[in-house]
Amino acid sequence: MNKLLLSFALFLHGSKRYRSTKEFIHDILTNANNPNKKYIDITIIFLIVTSVFILIYEVKNPVPEWFDIYDIYFVSFVFAIEYLLRLWVYNDLSEDIVQEYNDARYLQRDFSVWDSLKTGLSAKLQYIFTPAALIDLLAIFPAYRPLRILRIFVLFRVLKLLRYTKSIKQFLEVLSNKKFELLTLLFLLFFIVMIAGIAIYVLEEKINPNIESLFDAIYWALVTISTVGYGDISPVTDEGRTISIFIIISGIAMMSFSTSIIVSAFSEKLSELKENRIIEQINKNKSFLLICGYGQLAKMFFRQRETEMLNYIILENNPEKVKLAIKDGYRAIHEDASRYDTLKKFNTDHADITMLCLADNDVENIYISLNAKSISRKIKVIARASNSAMVSKFKYAGVDHVLLPNMVANTMIYTAITQPTMHKAIHAILTGKNIARIDEVHVNYYPTLIGKNIEELHLKKSKLLFLGIKREGEFMFNPPLSSSIEHHDILLVMGRQISLDYFKMQHAGDV
Amino acid sequence: MSAKNILLFGYGTHGRFIAKGLHEDGFRVKVIESTLDFYTKAKEDGFEDALHIDVTQDEDLKALKPDTYAQIVCMMDDEHLNVFLTLSLRSLYTECYILSLSDSINTTKKLQMAGANKVIDLYEVSANKIHNILNRPVATKLLEKFFTEKGGISFQEILIPEDSFLIGMRSDEIDFSPFGVLLVGMIDEELGHAFIFITAGINHKIDVGDTIVCIGDKEKLEVFEEEIKKRRN
Repeated sequence: MNKLLLSFALFLHGSKRYRSTKEFIHDILTNANNPNKKYIDITIIFLIVTSVFILIYEVKNPVPEWFDIYDIYFVSFVFAIEYLLRLWVYNDLSEDIVQEYNDARYLQRDFSVWDSLKTGLSAKLQYIFTPAALIDLLAIFPAYRPLRILRIFVLFRVLKLLRYTKSIKQFLEVLSNKKFELLTLLFLLFFIVMIAGIAIYVLEEKINPNIESLFDAIYWALVTISTVGYGDISPVTDEGRTISIFIIISGIAMMSFSTSIIVSAFSEKLSELKENRIIEQINKNKSFLLICGYGQLAKMFFRQRETEMLNYIILENNPEKVKLAIKDGYRAIHEDASRYDTLKKFNTDHADITMLCLADNDVENIYISLNAKSISRKIKVIARASNSAMVSKFKYAGVDHVLLPNMVANTMIYTAITQPTMHKAIHAILTGKNIARIDEVHVNYYPTLIGKNIEELHLKKSKLLFLGIKREGEFMFNPPLSSSIEHHDILLVMGRQISLDYFKMQHAGDV
Repeated sequence: MSAKNILLFGYGTHGRFIAKGLHEDGFRVKVIESTLDFYTKAKEDGFEDALHIDVTQDEDLKALKPDTYAQIVCMMDDEHLNVFLTLSLRSLYTECYILSLSDSINTTKKLQMAGANKVIDLYEVSANKIHNILNRPVATKLLEKFFTEKGGISFQEILIPEDSFLIGMRSDEIDFSPFGVLLVGMIDEELGHAFIFITAGINHKIDVGDTIVCIGDKEKLEVFEEEIKKRRN
């Protein structure tokens, strides 16, 4: 048995397919940034909603048989599979066994598969007793209609929604921050209710026809202290009424107290909740910009944009500047981009992220760039450097583009002095102004271009100037007209925006 | 007044770079500084005729005879001083061509109001650069080469000499690609030395004295310029 389990664990450990499947399922079930997770979520939510609908519908109407089959077999079956998958991906038993086996071999001690299995299984057991897992388990039970009490299990399916609705989750998180205050209050409530309940029981049990047991008395105390006051039970003696006065007053105090605790918990967490919401929103995009630092350059960057930018977020360390950015109408949050945890919040696995490090401090910019690159090589980083001596350091840090504002400005001034007439033209080209934009035509978006030669494009007729082709990293300036266009080419053309748009429109058709 | 005479105020972060570049390209640069450290640096770097003056004094400015220079470039590190200097120069000499550098968003407008003919905003050009890198990476890289690499692909203005084979041709029918250069546009003297892009859709008949602007490999451009001069119709 020992051997059999071990060889099975070793087999799983070595199987790439098993590993990747498990990883895939883990990601799709638990990683909120996985773009495919939403399909799973929607399916489960749909099942829950229909199941509850059936429960309500059958109160007054006879249900067709297939409703029962759907509810009892299908929904329960799907939930059972979901439950088992979650349990499966929670930890890795085979990994534990292999680890233990290797350790035992290294230390030359006896290997027992049960020890490692025990730790692994106890971890699984721990998972089973988490509230979310318990709800999942109870939600599997089919709603067996003949037994009324069993129908209540359907309501566990509603609780299952907790996992899929972020706002309720956040609400509970916020409340758990005030656990101490709320527990104290709850204890106080329990204390007062018990005392008042016992007192009224002792004083009025014999006189008041509505109070027959201690349960009645405690029920009355709770209804009164909560200021609900149904009136089905009310004190009849002066002593009983005196007790009522006391618990009504303490009830009002306790209500306002608990309200203030909850409100303060929310106001403390409000900005954080808002920022998390912004991050969630941005993470839904396939590609977005992370702008680190809101200084002069960032301000100018926004002012110079050609079209409304949708997918961006500003990370700023200084709360004053965050306020300023928000006042200027931009999406900014107060976060330190140099922290690992901050960047980890973004969807680095599934989205194309471009990061702009625009702080006016080289040390900060390098640190942030390295932080980004250490999380994912995929993040494209454009960083600002103060002088050309810094460029090599930035390149070492893996920065894709180093921007030297001084250098850019200096070259502009330089051309303004040396080529005064041309300067306007060059400036127009550089800033991409209307009359002379140099634009890129990425051939893979315009498949009709593939295989044609340059002459066939009739660029002159479209009032465009053809500059060259970038192919496999090499730029070919002014290639012969007979050269044909390949799949991954990037064509560089210059012309007015309107001509460029028209050209692209012409070739975008019949894909 | 030679077109190659430049009066440069400021030898700080930016001035230093400009002065050296201009000097290498054969311009005559006169450096003026009000900060002693920068002035000493200029002297060390070989700008022998650099002057250390208080630029807030009109008398000192007049003594420099700014009107004898083709261009005045104001790029003092202190932006307040830069605005003041631009304003002083403009009030003293209404005809001068003044170019100023602004290194803050709010200074650009002030420099323009102070009378600078051209203001280059450090942040504006940098922000543009970022947009270009994001939206047109290949084009940006190519354009970068125009400026940073001597040689390689660049622009050239070519004056059309008498008897050139181009005379009488229309800008539409011209094809320079066999020479390895492209016609980008021309400078129209009638419109006050303004540059017109070929893509603007204007069909211009080429005449003696016109200046055409071509883009291409530096060497090929030079060969091409010779070719225009040599060949006759």
